[in-house]
Amino acid sequence: MTVANEYIPGNSPIHSMTPLAKIIWTSVVMILALLFNHPLYLLALFFSVLLVAKIAGVLKVLISTLKSLFLFSLILILLQVLFTKEGEVIFYITEYLPVTKNAVYLGTAMGLRMMAAVLSFLIFLLTTRFKDIIQTLTNNLKLPIDYVFIFMTALRFIPTFLNEIKQVKEAQSCRGCSLDGWNPLVKIKAYAAVALPLVLVSLQKADKLAMAMETRGCGSGPRTCYREQKMSAADLSLVFISILLAVFAVLARLNGYGTYQY
Amino acid sequence: MISNPIIQVKDLCQNLDENHFILNKINLTIGSGEFLALVGQNGAGKTTLAKHFNGLLKPTSGKVLVDNLNTKYVKVSELAQKVGYVFQNPDHQIFHNSVEKEISFGLKYLNLPAEEVKRRTDDALKAVGLVDYRYAHPYSLSRGQRQRVALASVLVLKPNVLVLDEPTTGLDYRESMQIMNMIRSLNNQGHTIIMITHDMSLVSTFAKRVVVLNKGEILLDGPVREVLSHQEILSETFLEIPPISRLADKLSVIGIPKNLLTVEEVYRALCDVRGAEK
Repeated sequence: MTVANEYIPGNSPIHSMTPLAKIIWTSVVMILALLFNHPLYLLALFFSVLLVAKIAGVLKVLISTLKSLFLFSLILILLQVLFTKEGEVIFYITEYLPVTKNAVYLGTAMGLRMMAAVLSFLIFLLTTRFKDIIQTLTNNLKLPIDYVFIFMTALRFIPTFLNEIKQVKEAQSCRGCSLDGWNPLVKIKAYAAVALPLVLVSLQKADKLAMAMETRGCGSGPRTCYREQKMSAADLSLVFISILLAVFAVLARLNGYGTYQY
Repeated sequence: MISNPIIQVKDLCQNLDENHFILNKINLTIGSGEFLALVGQNGAGKTTLAKHFNGLLKPTSGKVLVDNLNTKYVKVSELAQKVGYVFQNPDHQIFHNSVEKEISFGLKYLNLPAEEVKRRTDDALKAVGLVDYRYAHPYSLSRGQRQRVALASVLVLKPNVLVLDEPTTGLDYRESMQIMNMIRSLNNQGHTIIMITHDMSLVSTFAKRVVVLNKGEILLDGPVREVLSHQEILSETFLEIPPISRLADKLSVIGIPKNLLTVEEVYRALCDVRGAEK
Protein backbone atom coordinates (compact mmCIF):
# COMPACT_ATOMS: atom_id res chain seq x y z
CA MET A 1 0.00 0.00 0.00
CA THR A 2 1.33 3.36 -0.93
CA VAL A 3 1.29 5.77 1.94
CA ALA A 4 0.58 9.41 1.19
CA ASN A 5 0.91 11.39 4.38
CA GLU A 6 3.45 14.05 3.55
CA TYR A 7 2.48 17.70 3.46
CA ILE A 8 1.85 18.95 -0.05
CA PRO A 9 2.28 22.70 -0.41
CA GLY A 10 -0.68 24.51 -1.89
CA ASN A 11 -2.87 27.54 -1.43
CA SER A 12 -6.34 26.08 -1.46
CA PRO A 13 -8.89 27.27 1.13
CA ILE A 14 -8.30 23.99 3.00
CA HIS A 15 -4.57 24.71 3.23
CA SER A 16 -5.11 28.16 4.69
CA MET A 17 -7.35 26.98 7.53
CA THR A 18 -5.92 26.58 10.99
CA PRO A 19 -5.07 23.02 12.03
CA LEU A 20 -7.51 23.22 14.94
CA ALA A 21 -10.46 23.74 12.61
CA LYS A 22 -9.31 20.82 10.49
CA ILE A 23 -8.82 18.58 13.52
CA ILE A 24 -12.39 19.34 14.62
CA TRP A 25 -13.66 18.62 11.12
CA THR A 26 -11.78 15.30 11.04
CA SER A 27 -13.17 14.31 14.43
CA VAL A 28 -16.71 15.19 13.36
CA VAL A 29 -16.32 13.05 10.22
CA MET A 30 -15.14 10.24 12.48
CA ILE A 31 -18.14 10.68 14.81
CA LEU A 32 -20.59 10.76 11.91
CA ALA A 33 -18.98 7.66 10.39
CA LEU A 34 -19.39 5.74 13.64
CA LEU A 35 -22.87 7.12 14.35
CA PHE A 36 -24.65 5.91 11.25
CA ASN A 37 -24.76 2.45 9.80
CA HIS A 38 -26.99 3.05 6.81
CA PRO A 39 -24.89 2.67 3.63
CA LEU A 40 -26.59 5.62 1.93
CA TYR A 41 -25.86 8.03 4.78
CA LEU A 42 -22.27 6.85 4.86
CA LEU A 43 -22.01 7.18 1.10
CA ALA A 44 -23.08 10.81 1.39
CA LEU A 45 -20.46 11.34 4.09
CA PHE A 46 -17.81 9.67 1.93
CA PHE A 47 -18.63 11.95 -1.01
CA SER A 48 -18.52 15.03 1.18
CA VAL A 49 -14.99 14.02 2.23
CA LEU A 50 -14.03 13.46 -1.42
CA LEU A 51 -15.37 16.93 -2.20
CA VAL A 52 -13.11 18.44 0.45
CA ALA A 53 -10.15 16.52 -1.06
CA LYS A 54 -11.07 17.96 -4.45
CA ILE A 55 -11.17 21.52 -3.07
CA ALA A 56 -7.82 20.96 -1.36
CA GLY A 57 -6.38 19.70 -4.66
CA VAL A 58 -5.04 16.48 -3.15
CA LEU A 59 -7.44 14.05 -4.82
CA LYS A 60 -4.79 12.98 -7.31
CA VAL A 61 -2.32 12.07 -4.57
CA LEU A 62 -4.96 10.08 -2.75
CA ILE A 63 -5.93 7.95 -5.75
CA SER A 64 -3.44 5.16 -5.01
CA THR A 65 -4.41 5.11 -1.32
CA LEU A 66 -8.05 5.13 -2.35
CA LYS A 67 -7.47 2.11 -4.55
CA SER A 68 -5.97 0.06 -1.72
CA LEU A 69 -8.71 1.20 0.68
CA PHE A 70 -11.24 0.11 -1.92
CA LEU A 71 -9.65 -3.32 -2.11
CA PHE A 72 -9.76 -3.53 1.67
CA SER A 73 -13.46 -2.62 1.62
CA LEU A 74 -14.12 -5.42 -0.87
CA ILE A 75 -12.45 -7.85 1.55
CA LEU A 76 -14.72 -6.53 4.32
CA ILE A 77 -17.79 -7.16 2.17
CA LEU A 78 -16.51 -10.63 1.32
CA LEU A 79 -16.03 -11.44 4.99
CA GLN A 80 -19.56 -10.31 5.75
CA VAL A 81 -20.86 -12.49 2.94
CA LEU A 82 -19.04 -15.46 4.46
CA PHE A 83 -20.33 -14.95 7.98
CA THR A 84 -23.74 -13.25 7.73
CA LYS A 85 -26.46 -15.67 6.83
CA GLU A 86 -29.58 -13.81 8.01
CA GLY A 87 -31.85 -11.75 5.83
CA GLU A 88 -33.12 -11.76 2.31
CA VAL A 89 -31.01 -13.80 -0.08
CA ILE A 90 -29.94 -12.01 -3.27
CA PHE A 91 -28.21 -14.94 -4.96
CA TYR A 92 -26.26 -18.08 -4.20
CA ILE A 93 -22.54 -18.49 -4.95
CA THR A 94 -22.85 -22.19 -4.12
CA GLU A 95 -25.69 -24.04 -2.48
CA TYR A 96 -24.20 -23.48 0.97
CA LEU A 97 -23.03 -19.92 0.42
CA PRO A 98 -25.94 -17.53 0.04
CA VAL A 99 -25.26 -13.85 -0.49
CA THR A 100 -27.71 -11.93 1.68
CA LYS A 101 -28.78 -8.33 1.41
CA ASN A 102 -27.76 -7.82 5.04
CA ALA A 103 -24.22 -9.01 4.41
CA VAL A 104 -23.70 -6.75 1.41
CA TYR A 105 -25.17 -3.71 3.20
CA LEU A 106 -23.20 -4.32 6.38
CA GLY A 107 -19.96 -4.83 4.47
CA THR A 108 -20.50 -1.74 2.34
CA ALA A 109 -21.29 0.33 5.42
CA MET A 110 -18.11 -0.82 7.17
CA GLY A 111 -16.02 -0.14 4.08
CA LEU A 112 -17.44 3.36 3.58
CA ARG A 113 -17.06 4.15 7.26
CA MET A 114 -13.39 3.22 7.16
CA MET A 115 -12.72 5.08 3.91
CA ALA A 116 -14.38 8.30 5.11
CA ALA A 117 -12.50 8.29 8.42
CA VAL A 118 -9.10 7.43 6.92
CA LEU A 119 -9.45 9.90 4.04
CA SER A 120 -10.47 12.80 6.25
CA PHE A 121 -7.40 12.24 8.42
CA LEU A 122 -5.15 11.98 5.36
CA ILE A 123 -6.57 15.22 3.94
CA PHE A 124 -5.74 16.87 7.26
CA LEU A 125 -2.15 15.56 7.10
CA LEU A 126 -1.67 16.43 3.43
CA THR A 127 -2.81 20.02 3.83
CA THR A 128 -1.19 20.91 7.15
CA ARG A 129 2.45 21.51 7.94
CA PHE A 130 3.88 19.30 10.66
CA LYS A 131 5.09 22.22 12.73
CA ASP A 132 1.60 23.76 12.60
CA ILE A 133 0.05 20.51 13.82
CA ILE A 134 2.53 20.33 16.67
CA GLN A 135 1.83 23.92 17.59
CA THR A 136 -1.93 23.37 17.61
CA LEU A 137 -1.72 20.20 19.65
CA THR A 138 0.53 21.76 22.27
CA ASN A 139 -0.73 25.36 22.40
CA ASN A 140 -4.43 25.06 21.64
CA LEU A 141 -5.14 21.59 22.92
CA LYS A 142 -2.57 21.76 25.75
CA LEU A 143 -1.15 18.30 25.11
CA PRO A 144 2.35 17.65 26.54
CA ILE A 145 4.99 18.42 23.90
CA ASP A 146 6.99 15.21 24.54
CA TYR A 147 4.13 12.94 23.56
CA VAL A 148 3.02 15.13 20.69
CA PHE A 149 6.56 15.07 19.38
CA ILE A 150 6.83 11.27 19.63
CA PHE A 151 3.59 10.83 17.72
CA MET A 152 4.36 13.43 15.06
CA THR A 153 7.92 12.18 14.53
CA ALA A 154 6.63 8.66 14.02
CA LEU A 155 4.26 9.94 11.32
CA ARG A 156 6.91 12.15 9.78
CA PHE A 157 9.36 9.27 9.41
CA ILE A 158 7.08 6.82 7.59
CA PRO A 159 8.11 8.04 4.09
CA THR A 160 11.74 8.25 5.19
CA PHE A 161 11.75 4.65 6.34
CA LEU A 162 9.99 3.44 3.22
CA ASN A 163 12.84 5.01 1.31
CA GLU A 164 15.41 3.37 3.62
CA ILE A 165 13.76 -0.03 3.10
CA LYS A 166 14.10 0.43 -0.64
CA GLN A 167 17.78 1.27 -0.36
CA VAL A 168 18.55 -1.64 1.98
CA LYS A 169 16.70 -4.03 -0.32
CA GLU A 170 18.72 -2.82 -3.28
CA ALA A 171 22.00 -3.08 -1.39
CA GLN A 172 21.26 -6.63 -0.26
CA SER A 173 20.13 -7.90 -3.63
CA CYS A 174 23.33 -6.46 -5.11
CA ARG A 175 25.35 -8.85 -2.99
CA GLY A 176 23.38 -11.84 -4.17
CA CYS A 177 20.67 -11.92 -1.52
CA SER A 178 17.58 -13.21 -3.27
CA LEU A 179 14.72 -10.89 -2.28
CA ASP A 180 13.06 -10.82 -5.65
CA GLY A 181 12.25 -14.52 -5.86
CA TRP A 182 8.83 -16.11 -5.58
CA ASN A 183 9.39 -18.72 -2.85
CA PRO A 184 7.73 -17.25 0.30
CA LEU A 185 9.80 -19.37 2.72
CA VAL A 186 13.09 -18.22 1.22
CA LYS A 187 11.75 -14.69 1.16
CA ILE A 188 10.87 -14.62 4.86
CA LYS A 189 14.37 -15.80 5.77
CA ALA A 190 15.99 -13.32 3.40
CA TYR A 191 14.08 -10.44 4.98
CA ALA A 192 16.23 -10.67 8.11
CA ALA A 193 18.87 -9.12 5.86
CA VAL A 194 16.55 -6.15 5.33
CA ALA A 195 15.11 -5.85 8.83
CA LEU A 196 18.40 -5.82 10.74
CA PRO A 197 20.22 -3.07 8.82
CA LEU A 198 16.98 -1.08 8.88
CA VAL A 199 16.81 -1.25 12.69
CA LEU A 200 20.49 -0.29 12.98
CA VAL A 201 20.15 2.63 10.56
CA SER A 202 16.97 3.77 12.34
CA LEU A 203 18.71 3.77 15.72
CA GLN A 204 21.52 5.87 14.24
CA LYS A 205 18.90 8.25 12.82
CA ALA A 206 17.08 8.52 16.16
CA ASP A 207 20.35 9.29 17.88
CA LYS A 208 21.20 12.02 15.37
CA LEU A 209 17.69 13.49 15.63
CA ALA A 210 17.96 13.67 19.42
CA MET A 211 21.32 15.42 19.12
CA ALA A 212 20.00 17.88 16.55
CA MET A 213 17.07 18.71 18.82
CA GLU A 214 19.28 19.20 21.86
CA THR A 215 21.68 21.48 20.02
CA ARG A 216 18.68 23.60 19.05
CA GLY A 217 17.67 23.94 22.67
CA CYS A 218 14.79 21.50 22.83
CA GLY A 219 13.74 20.87 26.43
CA SER A 220 15.70 23.78 27.87
CA GLY A 221 12.71 25.78 29.06
CA PRO A 222 9.18 26.87 28.24
CA ARG A 223 8.44 26.68 24.57
CA THR A 224 7.29 29.75 22.69
CA CYS A 225 6.24 30.15 19.08
CA TYR A 226 7.32 32.65 16.46
CA ARG A 227 3.93 32.68 14.79
CA GLU A 228 0.67 32.61 16.72
CA GLN A 229 -2.23 30.91 15.03
CA LYS A 230 -5.42 32.97 14.88
CA MET A 231 -8.79 31.55 13.95
CA SER A 232 -10.24 33.40 10.96
CA ALA A 233 -13.92 33.82 10.19
CA ALA A 234 -13.74 30.89 7.77
CA ASP A 235 -12.17 28.71 10.45
CA LEU A 236 -14.80 29.66 12.99
CA SER A 237 -17.63 28.97 10.56
CA LEU A 238 -16.15 25.54 9.69
CA VAL A 239 -15.90 24.68 13.37
CA PHE A 240 -19.43 25.97 13.92
CA ILE A 241 -20.89 24.00 11.00
CA SER A 242 -18.97 20.86 12.00
CA ILE A 243 -20.19 20.95 15.58
CA LEU A 244 -23.72 21.83 14.50
CA LEU A 245 -23.64 18.88 12.12
CA ALA A 246 -22.43 16.57 14.86
CA VAL A 247 -25.18 17.70 17.26
CA PHE A 248 -27.79 17.43 14.54
CA ALA A 249 -26.54 13.96 13.65
CA VAL A 250 -26.68 12.76 17.25
CA LEU A 251 -30.26 14.07 17.52
CA ALA A 252 -31.22 12.42 14.23
CA ARG A 253 -29.69 9.17 15.34
CA LEU A 254 -31.57 9.29 18.65
CA ASN A 255 -34.80 9.75 16.69
CA GLY A 256 -34.03 6.66 14.63
CA TYR A 257 -32.71 8.13 11.39
CA GLY A 258 -29.65 6.84 9.58
CA THR A 259 -29.83 3.30 10.86
CA TYR A 260 -30.44 0.29 8.78
CA GLN A 261 -32.50 -2.46 10.35
CA TYR A 262 -30.62 -5.71 10.00
CA MET B 1 35.27 -0.07 -31.54
CA ILE B 2 35.41 -1.85 -28.20
CA SER B 3 36.67 -5.38 -28.74
CA ASN B 4 35.36 -7.16 -25.68
CA PRO B 5 32.10 -5.51 -24.57
CA ILE B 6 30.77 -6.51 -21.15
CA ILE B 7 27.98 -3.93 -20.85
CA GLN B 8 26.04 -2.66 -23.84
CA VAL B 9 23.44 0.08 -23.44
CA LYS B 10 21.21 0.65 -26.44
CA ASP B 11 18.81 3.61 -26.75
CA LEU B 12 18.13 3.48 -23.03
CA CYS B 13 15.35 5.75 -21.81
CA GLN B 14 14.13 5.99 -18.23
CA ASN B 15 11.02 8.07 -17.74
CA LEU B 16 9.41 9.37 -14.58
CA ASP B 17 6.16 9.86 -16.46
CA GLU B 18 5.20 10.67 -20.02
CA ASN B 19 6.70 14.14 -20.02
CA HIS B 20 9.69 13.80 -17.71
CA PHE B 21 12.69 11.68 -18.48
CA ILE B 22 15.69 10.95 -16.28
CA LEU B 23 17.69 9.30 -19.03
CA ASN B 24 17.19 10.05 -22.70
CA LYS B 25 18.48 7.76 -25.48
CA ILE B 26 21.71 6.62 -23.82
CA ASN B 27 24.06 4.58 -26.00
CA LEU B 28 27.15 3.25 -24.32
CA THR B 29 29.44 0.25 -24.65
CA ILE B 30 31.78 -0.66 -21.84
CA GLY B 31 34.61 -3.07 -22.55
CA SER B 32 35.86 -5.73 -20.17
CA GLY B 33 38.72 -4.40 -18.02
CA GLU B 34 37.97 -0.69 -18.46
CA PHE B 35 38.26 1.87 -15.67
CA LEU B 36 35.43 4.24 -16.37
CA ALA B 37 34.32 7.28 -14.41
CA LEU B 38 30.72 8.46 -14.64
CA VAL B 39 30.62 12.16 -13.86
CA GLY B 40 28.03 14.93 -13.87
CA GLN B 41 26.28 17.27 -11.46
CA ASN B 42 23.68 16.10 -8.98
CA GLY B 43 20.54 14.97 -10.76
CA ALA B 44 22.32 14.35 -14.06
CA GLY B 45 21.31 10.69 -13.98
CA LYS B 46 24.61 9.04 -12.99
CA THR B 47 23.18 6.75 -10.33
CA THR B 48 20.06 6.05 -12.39
CA LEU B 49 22.23 4.94 -15.30
CA ALA B 50 24.47 2.83 -13.07
CA LYS B 51 21.48 1.09 -11.52
CA HIS B 52 20.60 -0.20 -14.98
CA PHE B 53 23.92 -2.03 -15.20
CA ASN B 54 22.87 -4.64 -12.66
CA GLY B 55 19.13 -4.62 -13.27
CA LEU B 56 18.09 -2.63 -10.19
CA LEU B 57 16.24 -0.46 -12.66
CA LYS B 58 14.70 -1.78 -15.84
CA PRO B 59 14.64 0.46 -18.93
CA THR B 60 11.42 2.24 -19.88
CA SER B 61 12.54 1.68 -23.45
CA GLY B 62 15.73 0.47 -25.08
CA LYS B 63 17.82 -2.28 -23.56
CA VAL B 64 20.84 -3.07 -21.44
CA LEU B 65 22.93 -6.16 -22.15
CA VAL B 66 25.33 -7.50 -19.54
CA ASP B 67 27.56 -10.20 -20.95
CA ASN B 68 24.95 -10.50 -23.72
CA LEU B 69 22.13 -11.09 -21.20
CA ASN B 70 19.20 -8.69 -21.31
CA THR B 71 18.90 -7.30 -17.77
CA LYS B 72 15.13 -7.16 -18.19
CA TYR B 73 14.85 -10.92 -17.83
CA VAL B 74 17.45 -11.63 -15.12
CA LYS B 75 17.03 -11.22 -11.35
CA VAL B 76 19.26 -8.69 -9.59
CA SER B 77 20.58 -11.33 -7.21
CA GLU B 78 21.72 -13.42 -10.19
CA LEU B 79 23.26 -10.48 -12.02
CA ALA B 80 25.17 -9.76 -8.79
CA GLN B 81 27.66 -12.43 -9.85
CA LYS B 82 28.48 -10.46 -12.98
CA VAL B 83 28.01 -6.88 -11.83
CA GLY B 84 28.77 -5.90 -8.24
CA TYR B 85 27.32 -2.63 -6.95
CA VAL B 86 28.76 -0.88 -3.90
CA PHE B 87 26.47 1.77 -2.45
CA GLN B 88 27.41 5.08 -0.87
CA ASN B 89 26.26 4.15 2.61
CA PRO B 90 27.74 0.86 3.85
CA ASP B 91 25.37 0.83 6.82
CA HIS B 92 22.50 -0.09 4.53
CA GLN B 93 23.85 -3.59 4.21
CA ILE B 94 25.87 -4.38 7.32
CA PHE B 95 24.04 -6.59 9.83
CA HIS B 96 26.31 -9.41 10.98
CA ASN B 97 28.38 -9.28 14.13
CA SER B 98 31.72 -10.06 12.55
CA VAL B 99 33.46 -8.82 9.44
CA GLU B 100 34.01 -12.37 8.23
CA LYS B 101 30.33 -13.34 8.45
CA GLU B 102 29.33 -10.07 6.85
CA ILE B 103 31.58 -10.63 3.87
CA SER B 104 30.65 -14.27 3.29
CA PHE B 105 26.89 -13.59 3.51
CA GLY B 106 26.32 -13.39 -0.25
CA LEU B 107 28.05 -16.76 -0.79
CA LYS B 108 25.35 -18.61 1.19
CA TYR B 109 23.07 -18.27 -1.81
CA LEU B 110 25.52 -19.92 -4.20
CA ASN B 111 25.67 -23.36 -2.49
CA LEU B 112 29.46 -23.47 -2.65
CA PRO B 113 31.59 -26.02 -0.74
CA ALA B 114 32.89 -24.77 2.62
CA GLU B 115 36.53 -24.54 1.53
CA GLU B 116 35.57 -22.44 -1.50
CA VAL B 117 33.61 -20.07 0.77
CA LYS B 118 36.63 -19.77 3.04
CA ARG B 119 39.00 -19.21 0.14
CA ARG B 120 36.86 -16.50 -1.42
CA THR B 121 36.35 -14.78 1.94
CA ASP B 122 40.10 -14.82 2.55
CA ASP B 123 40.74 -13.37 -0.91
CA ALA B 124 38.21 -10.60 -0.38
CA LEU B 125 39.59 -9.75 3.08
CA LYS B 126 43.07 -9.56 1.58
CA ALA B 127 41.93 -7.45 -1.36
CA VAL B 128 40.49 -4.77 0.95
CA GLY B 129 43.24 -5.08 3.57
CA LEU B 130 41.04 -6.14 6.47
CA VAL B 131 42.63 -9.50 7.31
CA ASP B 132 43.44 -8.28 10.84
CA TYR B 133 39.85 -7.27 11.40
CA ARG B 134 38.37 -10.63 10.47
CA TYR B 135 36.55 -11.15 13.80
CA ALA B 136 35.93 -7.49 14.61
CA HIS B 137 32.39 -6.16 14.85
CA PRO B 138 31.67 -4.13 11.70
CA TYR B 139 30.25 -1.26 13.77
CA SER B 140 33.52 -0.97 15.71
CA LEU B 141 35.29 -0.05 12.45
CA SER B 142 35.70 3.42 10.97
CA ARG B 143 33.47 4.61 8.15
CA GLY B 144 36.23 4.00 5.62
CA GLN B 145 36.78 0.47 6.88
CA ARG B 146 33.05 -0.23 6.77
CA GLN B 147 33.08 1.00 3.19
CA ARG B 148 35.78 -1.60 2.52
CA VAL B 149 33.69 -4.30 4.21
CA ALA B 150 30.86 -3.39 1.85
CA LEU B 151 33.24 -3.58 -1.10
CA ALA B 152 34.54 -6.98 0.06
CA SER B 153 31.02 -8.35 0.52
CA VAL B 154 30.42 -7.60 -3.15
CA LEU B 155 33.86 -8.85 -4.22
CA VAL B 156 33.32 -12.37 -2.83
CA LEU B 157 30.82 -13.01 -5.60
CA LYS B 158 33.69 -12.47 -8.07
CA PRO B 159 31.83 -10.10 -10.37
CA ASN B 160 33.64 -9.01 -13.50
CA VAL B 161 32.21 -5.50 -13.22
CA LEU B 162 32.29 -3.35 -10.07
CA VAL B 163 30.04 -0.30 -9.87
CA LEU B 164 31.09 2.09 -7.11
CA ASP B 165 28.70 4.88 -6.19
CA GLU B 166 30.82 7.73 -4.83
CA PRO B 167 33.30 5.43 -3.09
CA THR B 168 35.04 8.28 -1.27
CA THR B 169 32.07 10.18 0.24
CA GLY B 170 32.61 10.97 3.89
CA LEU B 171 36.18 9.66 3.90
CA ASP B 172 39.30 11.64 4.71
CA TYR B 173 42.13 11.89 2.20
CA ARG B 174 44.10 8.92 3.56
CA GLU B 175 41.05 6.64 3.58
CA SER B 176 40.07 7.84 0.11
CA MET B 177 43.49 7.02 -1.27
CA GLN B 178 43.45 3.60 0.41
CA ILE B 179 40.15 2.66 -1.18
CA MET B 180 41.07 4.17 -4.56
CA ASN B 181 44.37 2.27 -4.65
CA MET B 182 42.47 -0.91 -3.86
CA ILE B 183 40.09 -0.19 -6.70
CA ARG B 184 43.03 0.44 -9.02
CA SER B 185 44.66 -2.87 -8.15
CA LEU B 186 41.32 -4.66 -8.68
CA ASN B 187 41.27 -3.05 -12.12
CA ASN B 188 44.80 -4.30 -12.76
CA GLN B 189 43.64 -7.79 -11.83
CA GLY B 190 41.07 -7.59 -14.63
CA HIS B 191 37.94 -6.21 -12.97
CA THR B 192 35.96 -3.68 -14.96
CA ILE B 193 35.47 -0.59 -12.80
CA ILE B 194 32.64 1.90 -13.16
CA MET B 195 32.99 4.72 -10.67
CA ILE B 196 30.38 7.40 -10.04
CA THR B 197 31.87 10.61 -8.76
CA HIS B 198 32.06 14.35 -9.16
CA ASP B 199 35.61 14.64 -7.89
CA MET B 200 37.56 15.48 -11.03
CA SER B 201 40.92 15.00 -9.30
CA LEU B 202 40.02 11.38 -8.59
CA VAL B 203 38.97 11.00 -12.20
CA SER B 204 42.20 12.36 -13.62
CA THR B 205 44.35 10.31 -11.25
CA PHE B 206 42.61 6.94 -11.48
CA ALA B 207 40.18 6.62 -14.37
CA LYS B 208 41.05 5.81 -17.95
CA ARG B 209 37.79 6.73 -19.60
CA VAL B 210 35.23 9.37 -18.65
CA VAL B 211 31.55 9.63 -19.49
CA VAL B 212 30.02 13.01 -18.70
CA LEU B 213 26.27 13.03 -18.15
CA ASN B 214 24.16 16.15 -18.25
CA LYS B 215 20.39 16.28 -17.85
CA GLY B 216 20.02 12.61 -18.73
CA GLU B 217 22.17 12.68 -21.83
CA ILE B 218 25.77 11.80 -22.57
CA LEU B 219 27.65 15.02 -23.13
CA LEU B 220 31.18 13.70 -23.54
CA ASP B 221 32.66 10.23 -23.72
CA GLY B 222 36.32 9.41 -24.22
CA PRO B 223 39.75 8.96 -22.67
CA VAL B 224 40.37 11.16 -19.62
CA ARG B 225 42.85 13.45 -21.34
CA GLU B 226 40.57 14.10 -24.26
CA VAL B 227 37.49 14.78 -22.14
CA LEU B 228 39.36 17.12 -19.80
CA SER B 229 40.51 19.16 -22.79
CA HIS B 230 36.89 20.24 -23.42
CA GLN B 231 37.00 22.87 -20.71
CA GLU B 232 34.10 24.99 -21.97
CA ILE B 233 31.72 22.06 -22.22
CA LEU B 234 32.74 20.81 -18.77
CA SER B 235 32.22 24.20 -17.17
CA GLU B 236 28.68 24.23 -18.58
CA THR B 237 27.92 21.31 -16.31
CA PHE B 238 29.80 22.94 -13.42
CA LEU B 239 32.56 20.35 -13.51
CA GLU B 240 35.92 21.87 -12.95
CA ILE B 241 39.07 20.23 -14.21
CA PRO B 242 41.70 19.52 -11.51
CA PRO B 243 43.78 22.52 -10.33
CA ILE B 244 47.04 21.00 -11.59
CA SER B 245 45.63 20.75 -15.13
CA ARG B 246 44.39 24.32 -14.95
CA LEU B 247 47.84 25.44 -13.82
CA ALA B 248 49.43 23.54 -16.71
CA ASP B 249 47.04 25.23 -19.15
CA LYS B 250 48.02 28.67 -17.84
CA LEU B 251 51.69 27.73 -18.11
CA SER B 252 51.29 26.86 -21.79
CA VAL B 253 52.63 30.40 -22.46
CA ILE B 254 56.09 29.22 -21.42
CA GLY B 255 55.86 26.10 -23.55
CA ILE B 256 54.21 23.53 -21.25
CA PRO B 257 52.02 21.15 -23.25
CA LYS B 258 48.25 21.29 -22.63
CA ASN B 259 46.07 18.55 -21.10
CA LEU B 260 48.45 17.37 -18.41
CA LEU B 261 46.74 15.43 -15.65
CA THR B 262 49.09 14.83 -12.75
CA VAL B 263 51.62 16.74 -10.65
CA GLU B 264 54.28 14.34 -11.93
CA GLU B 265 53.55 15.19 -15.58
CA VAL B 266 53.58 18.92 -14.94
CA TYR B 267 56.82 18.60 -12.98
CA ARG B 268 58.51 16.74 -15.84
CA ALA B 269 57.26 19.25 -18.40
CA LEU B 270 58.62 22.09 -16.24
CA CYS B 271 61.98 20.34 -15.97
CA ASP B 272 62.05 19.93 -19.75
CA VAL B 273 61.36 23.64 -20.29
CA ARG B 274 64.08 24.64 -17.84
CA GLY B 275 66.51 22.15 -19.39
CA ALA B 276 65.85 23.67 -22.82
CA GLU B 277 66.45 27.20 -21.43
CA LYS B 278 69.86 26.18 -20.07
